[in-house]
Amino acid sequence: MANVIIAAYNLKKYFPVGGFLFSSKQTIKAVDDVSIKIKENEVVGLVGETGCGKTTLGKLLIRLIEPTAGEIFFDVPEEIIVEYEEALKNKDTKKIEKISKRYSFLNKKGGELRRMRRYMNIVFQDPYSSLNPRMLVKDIIAEPIISTGYASKKEAEELVFKLLEEVGLTPEFAFRYPHELSGGQRQRVALARGISTLPKFLVLDEPTSALDVSIQAQILNLINEIRKKYSITILFISHNISVVHYMSDRIAVMYAGKIVEEGYKNSIIFDPKHPYSKALISSIPRPEPMREKIIINLQGEIPNLINPPKGCRFHPRCPVAFEECGWTADEVFQDIEYIIMRRYAEQFNGIKRIYIEDDFTISVEYEGKNLIEEKLKEVLNKEKQELRSLISIKNIKSESTKIKIELYKFVEPEMYKSKDGINVRCLLYREKK
Amino acid sequence: MSEILTINNLKVWFHTRRGTFKALNGVNLNLRKGEVLGLAGESGSGKSTLGLSIMALLPSNAIIVRGSKIILKNRDYLKYFELFPEEKIDRKFKIKKNQKIMKHIRDFLAKIRGKEVSMVFQEPMTALNPLLQIGYQITEALLAHSSINLAKRILSRINLTEDDVREILKIVKSSKNVEKDLNEFSKLKKLDGIEDQVLYILNRKDLSTIRKERMIYSLKEKMKNPLTMSYLKKIAENKSIGIYRFLNRIPILKRYLKGVLIKEGYRKAIELLAMLNIPHAEKVVYMYPHELSGGMRQRVSIAIALANNPDIIILDEPTSALDVIVQYQILQLISELKYKLNISFIFISHDLSVLAEVCDRIAIMYGGRIVEIGPIDKIFYESLHPYTKGLLRAIPKISKDIKTIESIPGTVPDMRNPPNGCMFHPRCPYVMDVCRNKVPKSIEYSKDHFVECFLYGE
Amino acid sequence: MSKNIGLIGRRNYLLKQNPRIEELKISFKIFFTNPTAVAGFVITLLYFIDIILVQFFPSFIGISDPNRYIYNFNNPVPLPPSSSHWCGTTAGGIDLCDAIIKSIRIDLIYSLFIVIVGAIIGLLLGLVSGYLGGIFDEILMRITDIFFSIPYLVLAIAILFVLGVSLENIAFSLIIVWWPLYARYARAQTLSIKQMTFIESAKASGTRDLMIMFKHIVPNVLPPIFVQISLDLGTVVGVFATLAFIGFSPTANIPELGYLTSLGLNYISIAPWSVIIPGLVITVFALAVNLMGDGLRDVIDPKRRSV
Ligand SMILES: Nc1ncnc2c1ncn2[C@@H]1O[C@H](COP(=O)(O)OP(=O)(O)OP(=O)(O)O)[C@@H](O)[C@H]1O
Ligand SMILES: Nc1ncnc2c1ncn2[C@@H]1O[C@H](COP(=O)(O)OP(=O)(O)OP(=O)(O)O)[C@@H](O)[C@H]1O
Ligand code: SF4
Ligand SMILES: [Mg+2]
Ligand SMILES: [Mg+2]
Repeated sequence: MANVIIAAYNLKKYFPVGGFLFSSKQTIKAVDDVSIKIKENEVVGLVGETGCGKTTLGKLLIRLIEPTAGEIFFDVPEEIIVEYEEALKNKDTKKIEKISKRYSFLNKKGGELRRMRRYMNIVFQDPYSSLNPRMLVKDIIAEPIISTGYASKKEAEELVFKLLEEVGLTPEFAFRYPHELSGGQRQRVALARGISTLPKFLVLDEPTSALDVSIQAQILNLINEIRKKYSITILFISHNISVVHYMSDRIAVMYAGKIVEEGYKNSIIFDPKHPYSKALISSIPRPEPMREKIIINLQGEIPNLINPPKGCRFHPRCPVAFEECGWTADEVFQDIEYIIMRRYAEQFNGIKRIYIEDDFTISVEYEGKNLIEEKLKEVLNKEKQELRSLISIKNIKSESTKIKIELYKFVEPEMYKSKDGINVRCLLYREKK
Repeated sequence: MSEILTINNLKVWFHTRRGTFKALNGVNLNLRKGEVLGLAGESGSGKSTLGLSIMALLPSNAIIVRGSKIILKNRDYLKYFELFPEEKIDRKFKIKKNQKIMKHIRDFLAKIRGKEVSMVFQEPMTALNPLLQIGYQITEALLAHSSINLAKRILSRINLTEDDVREILKIVKSSKNVEKDLNEFSKLKKLDGIEDQVLYILNRKDLSTIRKERMIYSLKEKMKNPLTMSYLKKIAENKSIGIYRFLNRIPILKRYLKGVLIKEGYRKAIELLAMLNIPHAEKVVYMYPHELSGGMRQRVSIAIALANNPDIIILDEPTSALDVIVQYQILQLISELKYKLNISFIFISHDLSVLAEVCDRIAIMYGGRIVEIGPIDKIFYESLHPYTKGLLRAIPKISKDIKTIESIPGTVPDMRNPPNGCMFHPRCPYVMDVCRNKVPKSIEYSKDHFVECFLYGE
Repeated sequence: MSKNIGLIGRRNYLLKQNPRIEELKISFKIFFTNPTAVAGFVITLLYFIDIILVQFFPSFIGISDPNRYIYNFNNPVPLPPSSSHWCGTTAGGIDLCDAIIKSIRIDLIYSLFIVIVGAIIGLLLGLVSGYLGGIFDEILMRITDIFFSIPYLVLAIAILFVLGVSLENIAFSLIIVWWPLYARYARAQTLSIKQMTFIESAKASGTRDLMIMFKHIVPNVLPPIFVQISLDLGTVVGVFATLAFIGFSPTANIPELGYLTSLGLNYISIAPWSVIIPGLVITVFALAVNLMGDGLRDVIDPKRRSV
């Protein structure tokens, strides 16, 4: 069994919003409670839409930014990981602390951390801003070698030429400035820099998104070659799912700061479980014109991460969301208000006020003795097909001049294991009790 | 199918301190009515340059070489200009004079731009003005070419009578071809502009029929003050607005005169945005670009391009910055617009998988020439040119047994001194002696499928 | 094996143009194809040649005593320009041409000193505060805010009242007034460069903060600061001369443009040239330096470079 190179538990990264002086308590929950384990020589693909926290997770794993909470182990013995997981399961705080103290990557500091940086690196998406415009290519590539103390300055010089050859560039590129290179050449330089200290773990953050298809193919094949030669473990971030499928062994799908599905790549691509992955994978463009398409069209916008949706974060857009998926009164309130005040305004004349009573109750006040309750029930039932939020209505009760609409309480989905070994964060896959 | 745009032997070069970049080297292309033409090729192959040439929006260091032809709706507009012949473009080249010519071309085509051809630029962020409301930016585009339509829309609402509305509703309920009948009706009653608004209401998906009928009833508007009315009439009849141009300078009057048009512009903007499936369009028009997500911004750019009902829309990498779900929505939108409004599109992208989703025909560009062009299935399943083949092999395909992708070795040619003969010969696996010396001619290999390569033909 | 490649690489490197020289060539090309910048540069150069001549070869341009004005009390009333006095004379019968040639030196050297010292202080503080951020940054910004809220001339005069009258004190007061400008500018530049991904990738490869500062941030912040210096030089010469003009230069016989201008002040109605000509010398310099600075700005603008 292969060693675990990197294991992260319940990682969180909350970015504060607002200025320095007037900083409010609000935070962007860019990564929220993510656990991920990557084995030696494995390539894990990370996909998801813009702003869902992929880059943030990548940076957290190599500690380019510090997590708000959570634990990371880097290259620790297998037994320790097993022990730690057991302790987590049993909530054995003493043991957790003990292991953390000794092995946690987060406890490394100063020189020790700098030396450890040798074993990990990151390559960024934009080849235009990720290379210092005022440094020669050779200095760019040599920087990690010297900074981490991997080799002396003199040896670094020789290594640079070897690395350039490795990424398919001629030695004379060493004496060029980044702006004299094309996008593909820049990305090769960035890659040479990334592998310059023979790292064990490499985060590739959309390494080919800024490149052409044909250059992309060159770079992808190059990455594959190098990875096999030096046995490098890779976290491959991209929103191009075809590319991720080509490169990875396992795929993790991220949505709004959480990993919603994770497993062997073919199971994920050919039989996705989570409704979001299904939509995502169905809309991949394919180079097969006239193919029959069954595409799941998602409504709605990317959720805001300051106040992410409750329960399952996908529920406002989920085409199969049901009662307990996370609806709260304010979401339902907006739809009910729209129905009563706008769409069916002519049928509901006597309504005085609609307001939120508590998290799971909405009240409708009316005048006179209209038979509004029946009408409301009928209308809400009719609209359930289109407005999924109405599904969460548990019952509708009349109370003197007011109608109380009660909602189901939501359940926070966890990672559930499906039959073919995929982990899914969706209530549909919860084990039936 | 009729051809709406023909490009013949188009050569566009860029004069710079680091040399003359030969971005386009004799492009031949035609665009038909109501088709989506894909334009694929490597970065730097001249895709954007081609788009900008059609729009006449080339930067001032660009040179259009004599002999180039751009024929838009049977009008060859480059023939009015004294372009530089190829051999004159050397060290002693007169930059200043060329800049003047380029400026003339730009000014000459300002009338057409936005109205007949419009373009969605490569970066949605830079194409929108961050300081102006979305609605205002769309209104600006409308005012540039369609103030007549805006005025007509207002007047038609004012002139609408109870009887007219009843008749419209009758048409809506009973007619088989609502669009055509409404058009005839509005022509007959001199209510130009009303059909547009009625159709918009009918096409909304989020309203019940009763609501729609109510909205049609509420289209009727009160008379405006006499000054505004005569101003609107003047504009609607496309008469000179001499004195009003002056009155529009006076702030208070401006509110009554131009303000009316701007308000109508916002109204039309809402209709456009709603047509592009933007939720809460009536709120979005009052927002600023930075408040919108990438996909929304892209749709706003498309709305601006659509504002004046152009015949041709050029989309320069409209989806490259977006993720697949939003990308799919935009692709769907383009197909819809093609059928609904019969607009022709040029869709620029370097990603063939995206083009496979929307295009009717695809043109493959390399080194400033179109090396292969043909119907989409021919390009994907019976591609001819070695570059096209290479490009197709370079796309990772999702399949259970993963085939390794193959890249095209080598790099793009330096366009300052491009290779002799076939541009692709330094990278071509089938290179022959002729390829190094002679430029291949375009050959119609099968119906509608052209290729520029010595492997084909006699 | 790798050694061989290294050698080939180096040989290629030597055979090919040095990239740094290539860059420099382009910079020169951009600068020297801009006529206004060249005009500014030539005029500025003339002023500096003047300094060198006065300092090292005074006799070469026929100056007997570069450190003081030569009075001619036989003819104390200013004379208009004539063949013997090309620029005329000013109070005390001083020949204006001679006086101006001598005076330029002090103004320019002091101004250069002010700008350079101010820029160094500002650069260091701006860099540190931009890079570290936090409390230090906050404090620095508030301090510069205070400086910015007081008109700089008023502040300089106030400082001079405390310190007393001398050319050194004028320079000192102006440094105090000028550094916040550079601090702000350097900080803004640092902040924008700090956001670039290459800083992040330097961090990821374990580069120390200090190294990041000197290898990545400083080389990118310096060029715009240089441009700023050249743009400021003109203003500073003006302000320096102004302070001397309104009486903050010691009454000793030191050749300085502001003082020289003030000499003619009593005769302004009958001998306007005695004020206008020295004044013009200052203005022309300020203008020339500005034009040159504008040209330099084009040189470092990556957009213009790539065209
Ligand atoms: N330094 C930061 N300060 C504040 N917010 C941040 C910061 N970095 C990222 N964010 C926010 O965190 C969220 C996740 O960002 P991240 O860059 O990780 O997304 P991503 O999945 O990589 O997206 P993309 O596909 O666009 O690269 C975004 O909403 C972003 O605005
Ligand atoms: N303003 C300009 N000045 C000088 N050269 C230019 C200019 N614009 C484009 N070029 C050059 O013209 C050639 C074609 O550029 P163009 O932008 O049309 O390519 P493209 O196919 O759109 O590439 P991409 O996929 O990167 O957008 C390139 O070699 C480019 O360097
Ligand atoms: S838990 Fe599953 S079904 Fe429910 S909203 Fe989330 S994805 Fe949809
Ligand atoms: Mg990212
Ligand atoms: Mg382009």
